[in-house]
Amino acid sequence: MRSPFAYVPRPRPLQAASPGAAVAYLGALVAVAFLYSSPPVLFAVGFAAALAGRLAGAGGAVRSAVRLGLAIALPIVIVNVLVVDRGETVLARLGEWPLLGQVDVTAEALADGAVFGLRAVVVMIAFAVYSSCVDPDRVLRALRPLAGRSALTATLVSRLVPVAAADAGRLRDAARLRGPGAAEAGRAPLARRLLAGSLDRAVDVAATLELRGYGLGPSARRRGQRRLPRSRFDRRFHLAAALVLAAAIAGKLAGADGFDAYPTVTVGLGASTVALAALVAASGLAPLRWPPARRQPRPVAPAPAPPPRGPAAAAPPTAADVETANV
Amino acid sequence: MSRSRGTAVATALLLAALAAAGCGLGPGSGIGAVKLTVTREFGAVPMRADSVEADESDTVMRVLEGSAEISTRYGGGYVQSIDGVAEAERGGDPYDWFFYVDGVESPIGAADFSLRGGERIWWDYRDWSATNHVPAVVGSWPAPFVAGYEGREHPVAVECEGGGEACALTRRALEREGVAVATAAPDGAIRVLVGPWARVRSDPAAAQVEGGPEESGVYADFERDGGGFRLVGLDPKGEATTSFGPGAGLVAATRRYEGPPVWLVTGATPAAVRAAAGLLDPARLRDHYAVASEDGKETSLPVEAP
Repeated sequence: MRSPFAYVPRPRPLQAASPGAAVAYLGALVAVAFLYSSPPVLFAVGFAAALAGRLAGAGGAVRSAVRLGLAIALPIVIVNVLVVDRGETVLARLGEWPLLGQVDVTAEALADGAVFGLRAVVVMIAFAVYSSCVDPDRVLRALRPLAGRSALTATLVSRLVPVAAADAGRLRDAARLRGPGAAEAGRAPLARRLLAGSLDRAVDVAATLELRGYGLGPSARRRGQRRLPRSRFDRRFHLAAALVLAAAIAGKLAGADGFDAYPTVTVGLGASTVALAALVAASGLAPLRWPPARRQPRPVAPAPAPPPRGPAAAAPPTAADVETANV
Repeated sequence: MSRSRGTAVATALLLAALAAAGCGLGPGSGIGAVKLTVTREFGAVPMRADSVEADESDTVMRVLEGSAEISTRYGGGYVQSIDGVAEAERGGDPYDWFFYVDGVESPIGAADFSLRGGERIWWDYRDWSATNHVPAVVGSWPAPFVAGYEGREHPVAVECEGGGEACALTRRALEREGVAVATAAPDGAIRVLVGPWARVRSDPAAAQVEGGPEESGVYADFERDGGGFRLVGLDPKGEATTSFGPGAGLVAATRRYEGPPVWLVTGATPAAVRAAAGLLDPARLRDHYAVASEDGKETSLPVEAP
């Protein structure tokens, strides 16, 4: 069964864009999520990431990320509420707890934890969109000139881990197929067999890499490398990333991050916050597929005669020429 | 059906256990009034003096939040401003908010200081270029003698170091406030040292005064003057500003390490000690870090810079 976060190639702008452009775009959204604590801005980042994923055909990944993010956010909120007893509005007193002492649940700690949780959900969505829309092989190829060995290691890991998981599934199936009377195969023997198989496979991979020239020096390898082709969508994503980051920095300078949990919850809803949230939310439209522009058909001109090719073509062939050729 | 019944029973049991453990919705029941004072410049400029009804869940921070406009930093644990007066550097000197509960500097933050009712909370905005650690002040008299400090009651002992009549005056002043004064100083007692400085200075806690405000938190010093001593008032930077006469008495408070507060009722001469003992009155000590008395006139310490 395929993971909801697995990369699926689709004919969409985000998938077609070069890895650098896609990473810049999604990275800008993540950067804003870490720079800001303002709930309107965080909601806008989450909306933009979810919209981008939806437009890129990764709606399933976004839904899974929201579920996973909420599962992470809930413990964050609970821990914050139990550990932090600051804030003016005491909602409940939970008595003396071991290690924690007197636990008071305050509305402010609840709101603060909710903002932490919201950030976790938003970042999860952005990473889910990245994972399901950006080809990991292209990312690794792009990284190869910067960190060749790391890129090779990451490539091997990203390939071998799913292979090992598939091996484990096959081994389990084989154990089940021995029939109901057979002794149950424990986890330890399964893990041992899996490890042995992985080591065999690693030796094979090493031999293959050697045969394909990975043991040569970096200069020898680079001679054969080609630059990754640019996509016509790159400019769009670079522009969206630059706009989002510039607006985030300008918003910080203009005081758009108006959120204080303590002593009482205050959420800034000034013009700068609203403008930044609107721009960030609109950046989610970057992966939109624009309909191809219809071009007017050009009038068809009569085909010109082919230009003469040397003296032999100056005159039509004679009957004697044809006969000579036929001979 | 049985599963839902089991869940309901488990929920009811959990709620019953929480209720039995003293849990409940809301801030809890009332614990009585606490006094909140907000001042500036070592108590010289009053900003706010309220009596606030507190609940079980109240802390020093919550009481302040409920009474004044404040802003905080570092996750709500540090008060940055009260009623618009914010931490700052003024003329190169650092100013910040400090708080005392029952006349004792708290070892924990305001958000973590739980109240039990009856406390005197004093927030002061001051220059801390000389020291940021003033362990005890006299401005909350009769605290900490009446109900202790840091949530616990402590015995009170008057140690007469040649104070003579001043010792009796001190004892009477405490008893007027309902304080039971011990004849000896048991462990953990809040001590009041009464006597001339030449005698009192032999006590390790009192001797800190000669180390300056950074050691004792007291903005006063005793200088050698012939065969005796002379009381000197320091300014907020710890510089000697005012030299008092031989009849000047001093009431100050300090602490040695984490020990109980030690009050000093002293002066250069027996007459000065008597003058100091005469200061032990709520009206004369209110909102002062320490007080000097000379010719019936009180001078708040630190002395305002000229």
